[in-house]
Amino acid sequence: MTQNKITIALAGNPNVGKSTLFNAITGAHQHVGNWAGVTVEKKIGTRTYHDTEIEVVDLPGTYSLTAYSVDEIVARDYVVEDKPDVVVQIVDATNLERNLYLTTQLMELGSRLVIALNMWDVAESRGDKIDTTKMEEFLEIPVVKTIGNKGEGIDGLLDEVLREAGKGAHHEHEVSYGNEIESKIIELERILVNDDALSARYPLRWLAIKLLDGDENILEKIKVSPMATQIDNVLNTIDREDCEASMADKRYEAINTVLPQVCERCVKEVTFSDMIDHVVTNKYLGIPIFLSMMWAAFEVTFTFATPFMGMIDMFFGWLAGVVAENITTIWLGSLLGDGIVAGVGAVMIFLPNIMLLFLMLSLLEDCGYMARAAFIMDKLMYKIGLHGRSFIPLLMGFGCNVPAIMATRTIEDERDRLITILVNPFISCGARLPVYILLAGAFFGRDAGSVIFGLYMLGIIVAILSAKLIRGTLIKGKPAPFIMELPPYRIPTVKGSAIHMWEKGSLYVKKAGTIILAGVILVWLFSAIPSPGVDAAFASEEILGTGDSLMGALGHVIEPLVAPLGFDWRIAVALVFGFVAKEIVIGSMGVLYGVGKDEDALGDILVAGAMTPLSALGLMVFTLLYVPCIATIGVIKKETGSWKWTLFAAGYTTGLAWIAAFLIYQVGTYVGWGL
Amino acid sequence: MNETTLNLLEPGSKAKVIQVKGRGKARKRVLDMGMVPGAEIEVLRKAPFGDPIEFLVKGYRLSLRKTEAEHIMVQPHTE
Amino acid sequence: MANKNKMFFALAAGILYVLFGCMQIVEQFGIKTGLAELLLIPGDIFGGLCLVVIGAVFLYGAKELNSGMNMGVSYVYVGILMSLVFMAVYVLIIGASLLEVYLIQNEDYLEWRIIDDIRPGLYLGFLSLAGYVAWRGRFSLPAAK
Repeated sequence: MTQNKITIALAGNPNVGKSTLFNAITGAHQHVGNWAGVTVEKKIGTRTYHDTEIEVVDLPGTYSLTAYSVDEIVARDYVVEDKPDVVVQIVDATNLERNLYLTTQLMELGSRLVIALNMWDVAESRGDKIDTTKMEEFLEIPVVKTIGNKGEGIDGLLDEVLREAGKGAHHEHEVSYGNEIESKIIELERILVNDDALSARYPLRWLAIKLLDGDENILEKIKVSPMATQIDNVLNTIDREDCEASMADKRYEAINTVLPQVCERCVKEVTFSDMIDHVVTNKYLGIPIFLSMMWAAFEVTFTFATPFMGMIDMFFGWLAGVVAENITTIWLGSLLGDGIVAGVGAVMIFLPNIMLLFLMLSLLEDCGYMARAAFIMDKLMYKIGLHGRSFIPLLMGFGCNVPAIMATRTIEDERDRLITILVNPFISCGARLPVYILLAGAFFGRDAGSVIFGLYMLGIIVAILSAKLIRGTLIKGKPAPFIMELPPYRIPTVKGSAIHMWEKGSLYVKKAGTIILAGVILVWLFSAIPSPGVDAAFASEEILGTGDSLMGALGHVIEPLVAPLGFDWRIAVALVFGFVAKEIVIGSMGVLYGVGKDEDALGDILVAGAMTPLSALGLMVFTLLYVPCIATIGVIKKETGSWKWTLFAAGYTTGLAWIAAFLIYQVGTYVGWGL
Repeated sequence: MNETTLNLLEPGSKAKVIQVKGRGKARKRVLDMGMVPGAEIEVLRKAPFGDPIEFLVKGYRLSLRKTEAEHIMVQPHTE
Repeated sequence: MANKNKMFFALAAGILYVLFGCMQIVEQFGIKTGLAELLLIPGDIFGGLCLVVIGAVFLYGAKELNSGMNMGVSYVYVGILMSLVFMAVYVLIIGASLLEVYLIQNEDYLEWRIIDDIRPGLYLGFLSLAGYVAWRGRFSLPAAK
């Protein structure tokens, strides 16, 4: 029986083993969500320990608690506003100096701290000697040694957490910023105490420090304070730039007075890590090595996913069969079979790809190579207005835009991330290839290969130009600075990567799945309702997916829109169906031209006069550029968290596709290529 | 040797940070990451396209673009 | 001198990887060398390019070691690691085919034999495996977090 309930927060730098420790504490009792209002992942777990129910909140990994990124604001707002009973900072024992910088900031927030000295075995094995007793003495914070990946020290940590939570008032050990700044801090504190709203929420000293630190987020909050002018008066007496530098300096100075006494010979040597870095950033070999590693990751993802996709396909095929056999009401059978089962199947079929891609990415991230990939590609990406971290998501788009857009989470800056998401659909995914193969094969014969290659290049060019365009208009400004840690290489653990894979997979099914399912059912309804004037039953065989359905009627309605592109109503309908998944374009053209699944026959009909090489080229370009499939739209909504940007993505892509196909058809006809 | 900016140093050279110029978030981040006046740094290597650059500071590896390194005044150590 | 062994190892591995990589590319373009059947070389441009890259890493290492640069060993180690990664990739491909055959019983795989999926990237990996075993003391990386 549990009696007490406490909440603890896990804080720490990125790459210090926070997630591993979180998993070690909470086991399977966790759930993943988002922090309110932002797309930063929020993980919460529970653990019952000695009659106490401990709720564990995993804060985003941060180096500092300034307003530099959303992650940092989320982390500090949680500590300040939700007031967890204890904050556990996970400190990488192999890099005390930079890790303790965050400690100084957590201390200022007035939180009750416990330090988990993680990976101390690694530090010890390379000859560091860390004296935790001295560390506790100097910092006045309990320090517990842990090894996250072996689950060692967890009980000791929890014991200390419970002890700390049970304590009454606690002493705040703080960095002293020197006479000049300290006098300003006191001056500001005296003013701030009069603002009841702020002083109730935040520790005064911390507010004063943040103001002197030039923290944008806090400065923004102060603007509406009744004390705003008085505060401004004080801030105007200081040299902001100087003040910021000396405050960071004082924090490091405070650490440096402690460090030599705590750690005997905290060393740096030429490690194996350096040797790898030396090679993978080589001027000539760096990029080829990077591309080969990417190829390996893709090869594993796509070949290994195939049998699992086959299994899922078989399962849904079987399910559709069961539905067809047992449900005799025609429309219900079709709704369940062609609508829902097929729809859920369309969502699930991507699952093996998504999980494997994230397994690969997680392996690359955990071993430390991902940061190098960003380092290597940053210059190219910067030129087109993006960040080094944008490259991998764009590259993944060639496989499937869905996981590619999910992978943009590694991009810290919201605006860089948004642009990367918006241009991603132009990278031609695998599902578009069947459309190219059929049309290019039928119309361009021996040149089909070059045409397809050209389409891929066109996608890349459009993505680059769009990134530049968006950067110049809607989302102005330069890409975020590239101030990034290159963590030492490590051997990834299977468990850590598997958990990551599972999380991403279930997130995709839960969140994107709902939107995709709704979209699929909507499209089914359109193809099942007879068009006005057609004498047939709802969802009967003669109607489904043919020109006699409402979809066919819709095709006729939108035909004038696509006529200038050289498309007729059948192609219009096929393109609407292509919204479900782009490879469906070919299948529904087959139905509409009355040849069923016979692709060769479809090609023959098209060549025989239904299309010209010019309109076929237009159709391929249109398929490349127009609104991405429902699954992609679903993740764009989920990852941007905004219908506005989702609609923009749909409208921009389709508009661009229309213009491109229009130019191809009209200019081509004018010049006389279409003959 | 005279003061110079960090972006001009070649891989292998070591220096001491004198001052971090510029303003705003990026500057604070650079300071937070340990590029504070007085910090000892070593230029480790450049990316294949010559930018960004990898540094060793406070016992770990940090990378900056040239445009960010331009704002950091350093005193190179002559060896 | 231990580095001399590494130099010869890198030279041999480098030449082999570049050669087999080139053969995979050439095969894809339909130029028959006559060795494809014997050495199980598939036509595969990108896979071939990857082997060439691994070979280039080895050769670069050999060149550096030959000119007395000790950092040359880094290239040998990274070359070994990369070729082991690719060996693992090809093992996984065999795994995927086995799943197709036994789990899904895919009709396209009725004729499949294990030899169909054996690639130079797989069997050349044994050379690197030997190198790894011989110098394993140097491949020390801590486990992730």
